[in-house]
Amino acid sequence: MFASKRLGKMKEHTPPGISIAKSDNLEEWQMDIKVLDNNPLYKDQTYRLKFSFSNKYPIEPPEVQFIELPVSSDTPRPIPMHPHIYSNGIICLDLLSSSGWSPVQTCESVCMSIQSMLTANSRNERPPGDSEFVAYNRRRIRDIPFVYEDDNV
Amino acid sequence: MSTMDLQEFLASEATHDRDDLVDLRALDFVSSYDSHLMCPICHCPFVEPVRLQCDHVFCYKCLQSAITIFRSADTDEFPCPSCRTPTSRVSTSVPRLLINMCDEIQVQCPLQAEGCAEVLPRGHVQSHVDKYCGYRLVPCPDDSCEKTIRKKDLQSEERCLHGYFRCSRCEEDVMEKDYEEHDEELCPSLETSCVDCGTTLPQRELKKHVDTCPDVVSPCSASKYGCPVKIRRADSAIHEQICPLVSMGPYFEAQNTRLNSLELTMRHLQQRNEIFEDGMANIRTTLLESARAGRGSNRRRSLTEDDMNPTRSEDDESAERSSNVFSSNATTYLLSLHESLREEVNQVSHALTDLDARASMTIMNECLRIKEDMAHTNAAVNSVRLQVQWLMNPRLHNGARTGGIRSNTATPGNETARSQLTSTSAPGSSSAAGSSLGPLRPRRPSDSGREGTKL
Repeated sequence: MFASKRLGKMKEHTPPGISIAKSDNLEEWQMDIKVLDNNPLYKDQTYRLKFSFSNKYPIEPPEVQFIELPVSSDTPRPIPMHPHIYSNGIICLDLLSSSGWSPVQTCESVCMSIQSMLTANSRNERPPGDSEFVAYNRRRIRDIPFVYEDDNV
Repeated sequence: MSTMDLQEFLASEATHDRDDLVDLRALDFVSSYDSHLMCPICHCPFVEPVRLQCDHVFCYKCLQSAITIFRSADTDEFPCPSCRTPTSRVSTSVPRLLINMCDEIQVQCPLQAEGCAEVLPRGHVQSHVDKYCGYRLVPCPDDSCEKTIRKKDLQSEERCLHGYFRCSRCEEDVMEKDYEEHDEELCPSLETSCVDCGTTLPQRELKKHVDTCPDVVSPCSASKYGCPVKIRRADSAIHEQICPLVSMGPYFEAQNTRLNSLELTMRHLQQRNEIFEDGMANIRTTLLESARAGRGSNRRRSLTEDDMNPTRSEDDESAERSSNVFSSNATTYLLSLHESLREEVNQVSHALTDLDARASMTIMNECLRIKEDMAHTNAAVNSVRLQVQWLMNPRLHNGARTGGIRSNTATPGNETARSQLTSTSAPGSSSAAGSSLGPLRPRRPSDSGREGTKL
């Protein structure tokens, strides 16, 4: 399918602060993203994003979440602190929901949206109800009924 | 029909839907193309572009699949994937120019893997594959044979070419369609001889042999430094030992790199020099101008002096020259002084803005603190007032009772104050109790003050 070509194009040039960590198949990609400005919350840190593409991509949104790699590994990757990112890596971003998605979005544009979401944040906190959500959520990311109440961050 | 609503659009079929259609999105593009020609959904040059009301263009198929997912059922509208403008109509008429530009992009023949090296405009791919490409597999013309054959092998003969031939030289069974190739290139029995060393070897290995043949004559490895010798490969080792240019080779190499880097720095220096020269010229012109101005004023002065004292004109000439030199020196000095002063002013203004920002910051902080304090104090005052009022209440009652007996001098101006009082005082107080307010007057301002501070 042409989605593979579309993904292949991204390999040629990635935006600053974003690099491809793993792209050996077309179902799952991993990207490393950095926050480029001097936000003290995220300075000198690299975070790992996991993209899961369904075969209907780009008509359907990819599933995107942060994943954690242990500190002991060669490339330690924490989950960034953000009032819209749960501690299991799930991101509350309307762009990634079925209703907010648009097929003109790309892997690059999603990464850049998340990058700017981190850049703009100054609150060192998790979303309200984080621990319950992390403990009890068994749904797929796309089906979680997020409420996008906060347009500021 | 150029525009249609979403229902019609979803129901309509692509203009030509066939099973053996070439997938235009899977083609390999020979060169890069303008990104404006790219469908934002599939990231390929538009295939059958259609247009929305907001003038965004998409491939027919991309838009169809996007609409089926994103259409809102109740309003029958669809947000444009690019700008989210609600749209209810799709236009199939897009500028011919756009279609032509997309069709003109050069692509590889999709049968590249089969051996077709044809590069052609995308718009011609379908007809190329259908009619002209010799590498397309077609069913064997013999009905009893189920194999397929490349179109070019079929040539004009309409017969089955899947029978086996036995090669007369290598005794190998070769299919008739492959025989020509086998006969000319692949047969292991085919031999040829090396032009240089004269050994005979299988044709397939000739290429490999030429790379290693000891008899191939090649120029000395130092030929780029001027060694004219051309020598057989086997003897080149001996030549290299005696060739002075070969032994000098590394040295030349090092010199070359040095020269290159020097040239580079030279170019940099030249550029910098030009910049400096420009600056110098600028300075000189400003100096000249100021000097001319200075001389002009001198001349005027000397002229007036000449009028009075004609004999001294020669002296003036030399004095003027010396004063010119002096004035040019002075202007340089003044200019530099001016420059440094300007810099200082700049620094000072920077420092000033910095200080200003800092001061306003501290003032704001202090203000906040003071406001908070004020709020605290206000609250405290209020609570004290309440307490005082509560304490005063019994005394007021007493005073009213005695006052009622004493006098009845309430003026119309006091009438309002009285009603205020009765509304704030306990409900047990009688209407007659407020008839005299003389002793109560001090309370009124504080009463109205309280209402003012109520938030």
